[in-house]
Amino acid sequence: MQGRLSARDFSMLIALAAIVAFFTIRAPAFLGPRNLSMLVIELSITAVLALGMLLVIVPGEIDLSVGSGVGLTGGVACVLVFEHGWSSPAAMAVALVLGVVVWLGMGALIVRQKVPSFIITLGGLLVFKGLHWLVIRSATVPTVSGGGTNLYSLLTTYYLPANAGLAIVVLVVVAMAWSQVASRRRRAALGLRTEDGEFALMKLVVTAQALLLFVLVTNRYRGLPLTAVILGVVAWGTSVLLQKTPFGRHLYAIGGNPEAALVSGIAVDRTVILAFGIMGAIVALTGLLETAYAGASTTTVGSLMELDAVAACVIGGTSLRGGRGTVLGVMFGALIMATLLNGMTLLAVAPEIKFIARGAVLAVAVWMDVRLSRAR
Amino acid sequence: MKAEPPAPPAARAPGHAALLRADRIVKRFGGVVALDGVSFDLAEGEIHALCGENGAGKSTLIKVLGGLYPVDSYEGTLLVDGAPARFRSVRDAEAAGIAVIHQELALVDEMTVAENVFLGDEPRRGPFVDADRMVLEAERLFARFRIDIDVRSPVGALGIGRRQLVEIVKALRKSSRVLVLDEPTAALANHEISVLLEILRDLRKRGIASIYISHKLGEVLSLADRVTVLRDGRSVATMAAKDATEDLIIRHMVGREIRDLFPRRRSHPGAPLLRVEGLDVSASPAGPLVLRGVSFEVRAGEVVGIGGLMGAGRTELVMHLFGAWGFRRAGHVHVGDRSLDAPTPRAAMAAGMVLVSEDRKRFGLVLDRSVGFNLSLSVVGRYAPAGLIDEAREQTSIRPLFDGLRVKARDLEARVGDLSGGNQQKVVLGKALIVGPKVVLLDEPTRGIDVGAKVDVYELVNRLTSEGKAVVLVSSELPELTHMSDRIIVLHEGAVSGVFDAAGATPERILAAAMGYPADRVPTAAHPPHAS
Repeated sequence: MQGRLSARDFSMLIALAAIVAFFTIRAPAFLGPRNLSMLVIELSITAVLALGMLLVIVPGEIDLSVGSGVGLTGGVACVLVFEHGWSSPAAMAVALVLGVVVWLGMGALIVRQKVPSFIITLGGLLVFKGLHWLVIRSATVPTVSGGGTNLYSLLTTYYLPANAGLAIVVLVVVAMAWSQVASRRRRAALGLRTEDGEFALMKLVVTAQALLLFVLVTNRYRGLPLTAVILGVVAWGTSVLLQKTPFGRHLYAIGGNPEAALVSGIAVDRTVILAFGIMGAIVALTGLLETAYAGASTTTVGSLMELDAVAACVIGGTSLRGGRGTVLGVMFGALIMATLLNGMTLLAVAPEIKFIARGAVLAVAVWMDVRLSRAR
Repeated sequence: MKAEPPAPPAARAPGHAALLRADRIVKRFGGVVALDGVSFDLAEGEIHALCGENGAGKSTLIKVLGGLYPVDSYEGTLLVDGAPARFRSVRDAEAAGIAVIHQELALVDEMTVAENVFLGDEPRRGPFVDADRMVLEAERLFARFRIDIDVRSPVGALGIGRRQLVEIVKALRKSSRVLVLDEPTAALANHEISVLLEILRDLRKRGIASIYISHKLGEVLSLADRVTVLRDGRSVATMAAKDATEDLIIRHMVGREIRDLFPRRRSHPGAPLLRVEGLDVSASPAGPLVLRGVSFEVRAGEVVGIGGLMGAGRTELVMHLFGAWGFRRAGHVHVGDRSLDAPTPRAAMAAGMVLVSEDRKRFGLVLDRSVGFNLSLSVVGRYAPAGLIDEAREQTSIRPLFDGLRVKARDLEARVGDLSGGNQQKVVLGKALIVGPKVVLLDEPTRGIDVGAKVDVYELVNRLTSEGKAVVLVSSELPELTHMSDRIIVLHEGAVSGVFDAAGATPERILAAAMGYPADRVPTAAHPPHAS
């Protein structure tokens, strides 16, 4: 964990504040309970995919096929449920297994045959899109038959009751405090630097307030969306994976210096393939979320999502050359991208302008990053 | 042998004025003095050879002459035709007629010979490249220097010898008067060498002077008019080639005072821990052999030094043993009783062998990460028996190493890229030792680090051998090699050209073996012969 905010973090916060202020002035409904709740769900879907992308970018690879993969895995699940009458858990499991297997295969091709990931996943982008359209026969396939609900559709339509949401906040804050105290004690016993106590407490209080505010806001509408809980679990899992496991250390080492990683005895191939495997699971999860949110699989589901995922990573300070990137940064990048898209949709901005705005924000964010890191 | 003051040229090519003169050049890199008052002159139409050990300052000197180091980055003066020359860039040096051909050739493989020769200065017709005229002029150019080459073939299709010729013609096209060649024959086959030498002699007849750097003394004596020997950044002798002998040159190259910086404590060697038998290795599956029939063994508690000139295959040997380079065509490697026949770094480590690479930034460290991250990188799995890294376990394991190596860093969380070279090197050493190896391969472990850190490294070598580990020490520094090794194996062009025990390893004998002379040609004037 780093200490204070850097100039970069600070400028990103200001950028977000500016975006929010702009939309609020132009459309007061932007901060309304209903819209914020939708924003939370959209953010969750974007962020989950971006976190998977982080796992691939940290070791210095890239995945352009995730958008089409989201379409394909979601399409398969929809077809199984709607056309073949499968139970939704079984269909979801098939989508997940499909994602993992296909992505492990791509990872193996990239690593063992030494084809650049840019090329393999560019091929994947096209192949998966074609397969997606074949699977749904270029039609609209709902996630649930007859306007009912199932576990699948609930992924983005279930809201936790108000008290459950509050209980989760309390649990999370207690767990965070406990792990902070335990880690400080351990570090002090080992004679390591510990973060200034007051600062750590302040961070905890701010985090608790933010979570509480978040739940209170969503409770004003229908409660804490299940999707947000899913994001929380994925973010926590990714963070643990990157910071606390040998696998995560190895990913950073491979991205930072692949030759040194190899000479250090790291199983570089296996590690990168595994990262792609996890990406596959996340792609499938995003496919389920995205189709559940749209209510059906259509030819446009997942379209261009790879760009939002890469953009979220880069805006969040992830280096495309590998070796650098954090979960918190990516979440923040996803927040900026999701806010932008949500606000523009609310303002009924023309699709042409939407593309231009998203592209401009990405370019400006990276340009700022380059400038600020050079100044450092 | 006493150290001479910077000597004025002792011999002068008769009847010629100095075309190029370097006067008391001093070049420092931080605290390191690379050139310590080098004087040197080149007469018109002369071939002047520069000789010296690795690190004597030859390459630095030609970078000064070629404008790679701008005029104010060194002390002393350069004179061209007697007038002071102030080269601010390579372009300035080229304008004065000095062209340097570096060891790494600067040609674009995908482009044709003609395109390469005219790169950056293509003949034009309006805004377009006039391809026909370019080919025509290139053909004329090669004909003028009597070099038979198809200017339309891509450079990538040519052998290394022909590429060298392309590079020379490219330099001569810029109406050069002085050609500087840095080890031009190092990678050439014999027939290619004789072609090159013939061309240089031909150029001399046309009044083009050459500065010729080579380790091949036979070649030097047959080609050059004069020879200047550099040692420790000084020009120690200049002589007419017809008065020089190979023995004399070698003695000038080596003769230096050696301070006792090397606290080697010998221990009694035990059982062999590393056995290498008949190793043939090439860079690509069907490429030419880079290592040929290399055999040796290293016993517990023993330091075996690997000597040889640059390009002799020393780094390739240790990189291959560790499984990080090359294709094995023949031979066997055993670590303890385990055989390493399909080596990878993981397999080598599992067998108990570690490598400290000469290129710590490339193969050693993740510079953007902390000291602790790097130290535990190879073994981080050990601290995570249940999947999650136990920070307490990690810290208690790497902390003693950090303290014991005296790494000067704020703490374990300091970024490695911010440390000095010596401290980075200690982190690389610690990262290797934490594995708990039986065999330690050290490739230039003291390159570019200060004297204090060097002594720390030598003490570490002593500790390793006293603990019964086997150490392989690759070093370009002869004093380090002779003082720290119990036995020395010298490589020449990928094959073992000499094996010496500590008592018989004089710098002269090692250098002679490194240059490929048979043992009976070793100069013996200064040292009594030893049985070997």
